[in-house]
Amino acid sequence: MAKENTQGVSARARPKEKFNFFHDQRVRSALYQLLTAGIVGWVAWYLISNTAYNLEVRGMNTGFGFWNVSAGFDTDFKLIDYTPGVGTFGRIFWIGALNTLFVSFLAIIASTLLGFFIGVLRLSSNWLVAKVALVYVEIFRNVPLLIQIVFWFIGVFSLLPRVKSTIDLSFGAERVLLNNRGLYMATPIPGNLFWMTLVALAVAIGGVIYYRRRARKLQDKSGIQTKTMLPSIAAIIVLPLAVFLATGMPLAWDVPTLQGFNFEGGTSVPPAFLALLVALTIYHAAQIAEAVRAGILSVSRGQSDAAMSIGLKPGRVMSLVIIPQAMPAIVPPMISNWMNTVKNSSLAIAIGYSDIVSLFMQTALNQAGYAVEMVGLTMLFYMTISLTISFFLNIYNKRVQLVER
Amino acid sequence: MAIIKAEKTPSRPAPIFETSIIGWLQKNLFSSVFNTVLTLFMLFIIYLSLSGIIGWGFIDATFVADNRRQCYDNSLTGACWAGVIDWLTNIFYGRYPRDEIWRIDFGALMLVFWMAPLWMPRVKGKVLIGASVVVFYPFLAGYLFAGGDKGLFMQIMISAAIVALIGNMANLITGLAKNESVVQFLLRVSGKMTAPDKTQRNLLLAILVLAFAAVFWWQTSWSAVGVPWTKWGGLFLTLVISGIGIASALPGGIILALGRRSKLPVVRVLSTSFIEIFRSVPLITVLFMATTMFPLFMPEGFVLNKLVQVIIAVVLFNACYMAETVRAGLQAIPKGQFEGAHTIGLGYWGTMGLVIMPQALKHMIPNIVGSFIGLLKDTTLVSIIGLFDILGMLRSISKDVPWLGLHKEPLIFGAMLFFILCFSMSKYSRHLETKLSAGNKH
Repeated sequence: MAKENTQGVSARARPKEKFNFFHDQRVRSALYQLLTAGIVGWVAWYLISNTAYNLEVRGMNTGFGFWNVSAGFDTDFKLIDYTPGVGTFGRIFWIGALNTLFVSFLAIIASTLLGFFIGVLRLSSNWLVAKVALVYVEIFRNVPLLIQIVFWFIGVFSLLPRVKSTIDLSFGAERVLLNNRGLYMATPIPGNLFWMTLVALAVAIGGVIYYRRRARKLQDKSGIQTKTMLPSIAAIIVLPLAVFLATGMPLAWDVPTLQGFNFEGGTSVPPAFLALLVALTIYHAAQIAEAVRAGILSVSRGQSDAAMSIGLKPGRVMSLVIIPQAMPAIVPPMISNWMNTVKNSSLAIAIGYSDIVSLFMQTALNQAGYAVEMVGLTMLFYMTISLTISFFLNIYNKRVQLVER
Repeated sequence: MAIIKAEKTPSRPAPIFETSIIGWLQKNLFSSVFNTVLTLFMLFIIYLSLSGIIGWGFIDATFVADNRRQCYDNSLTGACWAGVIDWLTNIFYGRYPRDEIWRIDFGALMLVFWMAPLWMPRVKGKVLIGASVVVFYPFLAGYLFAGGDKGLFMQIMISAAIVALIGNMANLITGLAKNESVVQFLLRVSGKMTAPDKTQRNLLLAILVLAFAAVFWWQTSWSAVGVPWTKWGGLFLTLVISGIGIASALPGGIILALGRRSKLPVVRVLSTSFIEIFRSVPLITVLFMATTMFPLFMPEGFVLNKLVQVIIAVVLFNACYMAETVRAGLQAIPKGQFEGAHTIGLGYWGTMGLVIMPQALKHMIPNIVGSFIGLLKDTTLVSIIGLFDILGMLRSISKDVPWLGLHKEPLIFGAMLFFILCFSMSKYSRHLETKLSAGNKH
């Protein structure tokens, strides 16, 4: 009887629950977090103290003092001035960083163009073309990039003719030369009045933009289409060319010439650079092609049917209707591919192109021996690049999501 | 008066244009002038590349020779496959002692038998089989490959692994023959099918302990010759590194992904930064960090060999990529599942372990296969830091005196090998994807 009574009471007005310290959610979450932080902190402290002790015992150098110490080795490819013995390790870092960015930048542009092209070919109505594109994608996606890089270096660019029997890629003009030492290009040296040509080019581009805008406005207002493509191309080519000829062709060329055993003058890139560029381009083009294909397929078929029914030609259906709608699906995987291109350029170390890993993290580290600092700086470099790229990707995603209905 | 036909008008055959080869050709290859030109151009390109490849790789190629000079004597314009064939054992097994190679084959065969039941619909207890592969197989295979002295821990693990394998095989046989699990079979034979749970459990436990004791006693009678890790190489080493990599990256990735989605800020921030740091740097820098900095991390006198350093680096790196795969899988689970699990009173671990993870993991299988392909390809990087994996072996052919300078053929052979492995796996994962998504629609 008494039992029943208490039950009835608790059902109506519940007595205050007994406070159990370990069953309280806030206490528990605080405890878990403390525990995690404690374990991670302890592991970090353990590793750091071990490292400090080991560094001391082995008499290894620490700190960032090496940054201003001159490095004694040379590199075969650099975009900024550097003299071995005078230039510092800091400069070596920047040479490596620039080399990484340079080759990745070119590879990103080339692979994006090639990837778009092949991605569209994958969906061609021509069966044979679609299958050839498929074979391209499957072959280059399923073979490790490192094997491809080494193959292009050893199997192709190292087997080019020697300096004496150089290949002339500019049809006898000796402006672009290719041999097993690399690619040599003539560098233009602007003369006195060359700035006038540049001004003419700027004027032409400005005029074309204005012209096209007016044509667009006219079309919006009256529906009359004006031909813009041919006049714009003509303006951009003819005007600067006319000025260039009128001022007496003020442009000299620094032509690579054979001196002794090698070519001097002009600009040159080593075979390792070419091999890396070609391999990265081909590999990532296959990846981007798949992203492009998936993006285009994500646009519903009704869109292209509707576009065709209002009389657009197949090319315009693609460029005006399909691609703009496919972009939100294409861009994120494409940008993560660009990020991978930057990261994969580190495989340059296998063929000796002086990127940041092979120049700074290997050669410089072997010479100076600041293992922790140099590895850390290199990783920091890559993290900065990745974070920058993903920052812009997030901005893009936000913008696209706002537009989306 | 209406005219009504007695029978239905038979359907006419499809127009010849739709069904014949010529119709297909015209529709898909020669539909317009432009398409015809394109087709002819493509045919020309295909002809050029195929004739080049077949001429170089087969017709003019040399398959039997003692050295590169003989290849040249045979033909100057063909491939010299003789070098690759001469090195085939090295490419697959590295410098593993030739008399002991059967151990690698045996280990691989064991894995095949262990995993095969997972693909057989009649066999019961697949989760247990999968778990036993991950938990026990590495110890058995590890000892089989490395050999040497067995410590007590290794002896226990090896015995457990052998018991698990025997149990698995017995389960396979009972499954195929009687369509029941080995547990059901044992209970039926001993006539304890209807006995209370406790009796059944004691009986099974007794059988297990007996089997374990017998195996333990048996395994003390033999031991395998030790093979130092420096002798490991070739495709074998590549598969070992990527196998351990994927098997350990999965649990690591699950923990990191749960950490990243956790409500506890400290756990979330730590997991997220760990994942993002490793995902934003190239694998080669992580490998370098492993070889230059791990020795500094360790207390004095504790030396990790290079293989272990590399494996730790590969596991850390891949766990972070796997974490993102798992996170994507978790995000695909509808919120109702979490809420449903909470309503029936499950806590965090109950919800995750019993409701969410089993569903998410099933949908992640294609992506996990995809990560394994990526890992297999990435493992070639270990050749840069001086391990003789398959790429290291392929590249050392050109330094072998009889085959000096033979670069292209080994690399092409390696590329073909990887292509076959990766392409078939990716086809399989795509097949799984369609199968799983078809099952999901019901």
